[in-house]
Amino acid sequence: MITRIAKKEMTEMFRDGRFQLAAAIVGILLVASLGAGWKQYQDLKTEHETAQRAERVNWLTQERKNPHQGAHYGVYAFKPKSQLSVVDTGVDPYLGSAVYLEAHKQNEFRFRPAQDASTSIQRFGELTAAVVLQVLIPLLITLLTFSAFAGEREQGTLRQVISLGVSRRQLAAGKALGIAGALAAVLLPATVVGVAALAPTSTTGLLAVDVSRASLMVAAYVVYFAVFIAVSLAVSAWAPSSRFALIAVFAFWMVNGLIATRAFSDLGSYLHPTPSAVEFDAALQRDLADTKALDAKLDAIKAGLFTRYGVHTLDDLPVNFRAISLQEAEEHGYAVFEKHFGQVFDRFESQNGVYQWGGAVSPLIAVRSISMGLAGTDFAHHRHFTVAAENYRRTIIRYMNDDILVHPTRSGEEYLAGRELWQQVPEFQYEAPGAAWALSHYISSVTLLGAWLVAAVVAAAIAAQRVDV
Amino acid sequence: MSAENTPWLILLVLALAVGYAVANGIRWVAFQQTTLQRAFDEEARRYAGLKQQVIDIDTGRQRAPFNDPRMPAAAGRVLAWRYAAMPPTPLAAVSIGQSDLVPYYFKVSTAPKESVLTTNEIENPHRLLSGRFDLSFVVIYLFPLLIIALGYNVISAEHEQGTLALLLSQPVPLRTIITAKVAVRAGLVIALVILFSLLAMVVGGVRLTSAEIIERLVIWAGVVLAYGAFWFGAVVLVASAGRSSATNALALSSLWLTLVVVLPSTLNMLVSSLSPMPSRVDMLAALRVATRETNGKGDQLLAKYYGDHPELVALSDVEKVQSDVAVTQLAIEEEIERRVRPVVERYDVQLARQQSAVDRFGLLSPAILAQDALNDVAGTGSARYRHFVSLVEDYHEGWQALFASMIVSKQKLTPDVYDDLPRFAYREEPLRSVMTRVAAAIAILVAAGVTFALTGVARLRNYRIS
Repeated sequence: MITRIAKKEMTEMFRDGRFQLAAAIVGILLVASLGAGWKQYQDLKTEHETAQRAERVNWLTQERKNPHQGAHYGVYAFKPKSQLSVVDTGVDPYLGSAVYLEAHKQNEFRFRPAQDASTSIQRFGELTAAVVLQVLIPLLITLLTFSAFAGEREQGTLRQVISLGVSRRQLAAGKALGIAGALAAVLLPATVVGVAALAPTSTTGLLAVDVSRASLMVAAYVVYFAVFIAVSLAVSAWAPSSRFALIAVFAFWMVNGLIATRAFSDLGSYLHPTPSAVEFDAALQRDLADTKALDAKLDAIKAGLFTRYGVHTLDDLPVNFRAISLQEAEEHGYAVFEKHFGQVFDRFESQNGVYQWGGAVSPLIAVRSISMGLAGTDFAHHRHFTVAAENYRRTIIRYMNDDILVHPTRSGEEYLAGRELWQQVPEFQYEAPGAAWALSHYISSVTLLGAWLVAAVVAAAIAAQRVDV
Repeated sequence: MSAENTPWLILLVLALAVGYAVANGIRWVAFQQTTLQRAFDEEARRYAGLKQQVIDIDTGRQRAPFNDPRMPAAAGRVLAWRYAAMPPTPLAAVSIGQSDLVPYYFKVSTAPKESVLTTNEIENPHRLLSGRFDLSFVVIYLFPLLIIALGYNVISAEHEQGTLALLLSQPVPLRTIITAKVAVRAGLVIALVILFSLLAMVVGGVRLTSAEIIERLVIWAGVVLAYGAFWFGAVVLVASAGRSSATNALALSSLWLTLVVVLPSTLNMLVSSLSPMPSRVDMLAALRVATRETNGKGDQLLAKYYGDHPELVALSDVEKVQSDVAVTQLAIEEEIERRVRPVVERYDVQLARQQSAVDRFGLLSPAILAQDALNDVAGTGSARYRHFVSLVEDYHEGWQALFASMIVSKQKLTPDVYDDLPRFAYREEPLRSVMTRVAAAIAILVAAGVTFALTGVARLRNYRIS
């Protein structure tokens, strides 16, 4: 019975001119956005890989110089693009893609694509597949379902169907299945394109990670669509007229897509404000300049070394004190940078936590967070890369200072190192975290989306049961 | 029209939305102003400290540190850098625009231009993605819905209530009645949006008294009027087709969806694919190679530098200067800049081409036109930002030249010299340029709206009740 109802619904929809038009437009936009996303991913991936290799060559072909100067030349680290950014570019446009790893300074990431593009058209957002799935598909669902009960009631066919002995619940389930079927028809070409696009781009070693992330993402979107189908059916059954149902669901979509996202983003910033760059710099510089503890430590080390080697001047030491003081100064810096950057990053994550509460009001907020997290294009992944890059910076500096340590020089002499030292520093390798780690940042979104599903299905069942014929 | 409750509800929602949006804008502007104040306070304190330090070192009370404030190399690069800031315009609260994404102040030192200009304000990227609930959001997204809600049934309601026959039997032609109805609704809605906005600004503490803000307000009202005219024209066109209220509502909502939600981001996607941004990474790669290859050639470059700048040789004894690290550094950076210049110029040309492609595409969407115009009036658009950057580039060049001559002539800084170090003075674009840019957008919007309206009114001549 349910499948028969579903088949009838689907046939009706496929014959409806409005559905044909809307489905065609959404289908084309989905395929186009996947194509654009794929192209962008390919270009950026190639660009970053080439640049990273070139940086390694630059590092290795430095002329002979003091290792500390080598640390000053440093290395640029380029954030690799994640495969699922084809579907969801997340906040990548607003994050820099390259960071300069040099001595004495932890730098911020540079070259934010949105800032470089910097036109108002850019701020309307880019039409990624994620936007189509999160914003436009729900509209399509609205169009398909707002007249499911209310429209049939107005046409008089609802009374006829009920009088045939069809239970209201069966009717609701049949209609839901029919809509899902019609939706699947719209999404099928795009899914084929998406899989075809992603398969050859998968890099070795990450395939297992990609499959689990991709399937979780598909699951999240399926739940999201189910929520909208159930909500629309519930409203259609409960509304006194199909016009009311349309306005109500449209208003729900508006609040979801346009208002809740901004409002909760504002709330997050209000509850957990971030400092201005001026304040941040001032506090950072103040702590960096506070070298009392560092100076005392260095004096103690110097005294200890003098005692140990029985000498009285730095020149007589068999180890290079300059290297020790450089490394100690760097470590003083590390602690300061970690504290200040950590505070700002923690604030961002607190703000994002508040934003996720918005999932209680807007399933779009919940699915958007999950989608970005699984695609690897959220702030959490950026922070993960930032930490990896910073650790690499510290590795470079450690190698350089260790080399200076074992090559003590007297005043007026200069120690020069060359390729034999540069080669010792390993190449920068970054291992992206897995799907479980990605989702661990979005427990509340996952919970809220699940809660939405349960609540919407229950509401639809109850509303269908009580529908007036 | 006042018989139904719905219009009142809608207007209440509008008032709340406008109030919240303006409050948001005012808060953001206050944050920018506080930040700039802090910046200049910090600079003043730093300068006072440096001048005192110079005195202390000269009188022997303090030992000269590695970054000696008397040495121009250290002062120009590390110690005495100045802030170059673009203050928000008096009307910045109406549109946050690009101002949360692009910098509104730079730290100008003798460092290479590319590194001075690469700076960011601290903002959560998720927040940048979500966008802001500011007044231009309300105008661009919600204002058209309001117009649609109040206008979609201007004829069809009469038809459905059965009073249309009565209207058509009047001596006054239908098109006059409808035009009057629409004009009243249009006037009311536009006036209310403007009024609520002004009220919210006054309540929020924005002073609406200076000539500049009044001029900008007039232009802003013009944009709102033009955008409203566009949508009312669309409403008249759809209403004149003689369909039911439900069909009209659906058609107009689809139009809103297409023009405001789908089209701008689709155009963005098309522009990025067809005319992509030039690669920053390529420019960076060239810079890195140039830096690596140039660093080792210090002495050769020093000789070349004096060859290129004979006017500076007279100021110093070449032999004494030869081993001067600071001058070598100048020479190295000039050489790097020279080698990277063709790549940078290619980048700038590609960027300009992409920006003009974006501008052309933007003509297709009233939402983009209106957003650009609102940003321009508020001073948060790309044009004003580019103007600011070009002023900063000039200031930076002057700063570099000043310190270069001080380094080569081995001049030492005294407190008097510190007082004379040039400050950045932001020169606002004349309002005329803003008006010219905005006038084009207003003209297109009004032309489209009037065309729609006239077409619709013409169709009303032959209106038949089916």
